[in-house]
Amino acid sequence: METGAPAALTPTRDAPAARHGLWDGFTRFLGRREVLPLLLLIPVLIFFIVWNLIPTLWLLGLGFYRFSLTSGRPPRFAGIYNYQTILNDAGIWFDLSRTFIFVFFAVALETIFGVALGLLFWNSHRLPGRRIALTMLFAPMVLTPVAAGTFWRLIYDPTFGVLNFMIRGLGFRSVDFLGDSHVAFGAVLAVDVWMWTPFMVLMTLAALASVPKAELEAAEIDRLAWHQRLRLIVLHHGKFILMLGILLRTIDAFKTMDLIYDMTYGGPGSTTQLVAMTLYRRAFEAFNMGSSSALAVILLLISIAFTATFIFVLHWRERREASP
Amino acid sequence: MRRTSWREHAYHALLWLVALIFFAPILWIVLCSFKTGDQILAVPPKLIFTPTVANYAKLFSSRAFPRELFNSAVLSVASVLIAVAVSFLAAFSFSRFKPGGTNFLMFLLLSIRMLPGSAAILPVYLMYVAFGWKDTYAGMILFYAMFSIPFSVWILKGFIDGVSPRFDETGIINGASWLRIITRTILPQVMPGVIAASIFNFIFVWNEFLFNYIIGGLSTSNIPVALASGLYSNGGVDWTFISALTTVYIVPPILVVYFFQRYLLVGMTFGTVRGEV
Repeated sequence: METGAPAALTPTRDAPAARHGLWDGFTRFLGRREVLPLLLLIPVLIFFIVWNLIPTLWLLGLGFYRFSLTSGRPPRFAGIYNYQTILNDAGIWFDLSRTFIFVFFAVALETIFGVALGLLFWNSHRLPGRRIALTMLFAPMVLTPVAAGTFWRLIYDPTFGVLNFMIRGLGFRSVDFLGDSHVAFGAVLAVDVWMWTPFMVLMTLAALASVPKAELEAAEIDRLAWHQRLRLIVLHHGKFILMLGILLRTIDAFKTMDLIYDMTYGGPGSTTQLVAMTLYRRAFEAFNMGSSSALAVILLLISIAFTATFIFVLHWRERREASP
Repeated sequence: MRRTSWREHAYHALLWLVALIFFAPILWIVLCSFKTGDQILAVPPKLIFTPTVANYAKLFSSRAFPRELFNSAVLSVASVLIAVAVSFLAAFSFSRFKPGGTNFLMFLLLSIRMLPGSAAILPVYLMYVAFGWKDTYAGMILFYAMFSIPFSVWILKGFIDGVSPRFDETGIINGASWLRIITRTILPQVMPGVIAASIFNFIFVWNEFLFNYIIGGLSTSNIPVALASGLYSNGGVDWTFISALTTVYIVPPILVVYFFQRYLLVGMTFGTVRGEV
């Protein structure tokens, strides 16, 4: 392996090639600027083509067919029939708007709590056992969503649950959190807020860490009021990281599924049925693959829009940092 | 040495209180795992009780649990190893040679990762059924690897961008092969990125339920699937089983958060945000 060092000072073409010409020529061919980039990409491209491109094309195509796995009949071409039915299906529109309401409230609450707690933890570097405290704070994020959903069912239980025990202790009547159609949505939302507020705390701490110390010290000397400090210095430097955090949360909340699957399965009625769950039920309960594919294509378009927004903010930040 | 004032003590107590509030539901799971079935459902809830390890004994002596735990471990470790290796090569190519369509491909990779799980798995399910890949280890591992690649490429490209191309040039001048440059010069410098990508994807696959439920089967199901489908026994929910199972299962992710806290931010934002927390 170490043969190269002195020889490389001479033009590479002559000397070592003479000994094992074919192999050397081959490796030199692989190392060429035109070949190497592609060679390195081959594994990813294989993954991309087999597990992304083919399924996505399959999905796009199937969206135009009437195809149910339970009927046993082969797919039948139906043009835009599936899309027409979905766009005319009030249930889908309800589920979509419910999803957006869920996303809005979840992200808003998580951002408010996350930023507040992030500011609270800003000066925590002298906290005894800080690492353990932060681990405990961040733990809900890495908890298996299915496990979280299952266990919150016990906590929410009207007769055996801890929460209702406390509510009764305060003199109120117990609430069937997940069975009452007026409360279930809020109850599911609360669990999502519990799970993902730590993420916004993490993002806020990162945003705060990106604020230059010198400017804060200057503000201290200038005796700027705290709200001016927050607005002019902290927000000015931290806003991009915070924005990225909010966008990531938005995208992730839009995908919420595991949590609901185990906690309410979309019920009672369809009060907690978010669109990922709708698709799941249509595809893997009713096995109506044609119309599910069309719905999946619509969701794909929404996620592409989200991703484009995310990348736009990312580039915006890069441009701003390049020219302050 | 500054004297800690009472204000600082109060501040620290408040921080700990916040951390404890967020941890309380998990603590409750852990407590329940040491109770008997009746104690879990007791009203008022029992905070003081004689702990029992019978639940754990039952859990580890059950037939399915060791197998499912093994599946969880194999699927997450194998897919992460493959994904990170593949992503590292691709990220190097994207970062250094910027082949045509780099931005577009990076965008496509990401948008597929942003798709709701049930939409992403639907065509893959049909494909797996058609090809007979359903419920095979290879099929599961490769699919999880594919799903872990986008974030890994993003994380690693960010890190490789940060390594000056002069290192490559020095290597070339000294006659090193590209393989040697990549493994000996670049890789050590982007180790934090490799760790961040690994732990993030590990946590993802470890906790993943839907994909495993749909394209897996009896022989490849992991613990989340067992949790979701094996809930009921004797007509009611078997909370002792669930709490013991959950307690065992959340130990690795929480240890990861403790030991790799510095990498959590990079992992969760796929490298777009870096810094000390």
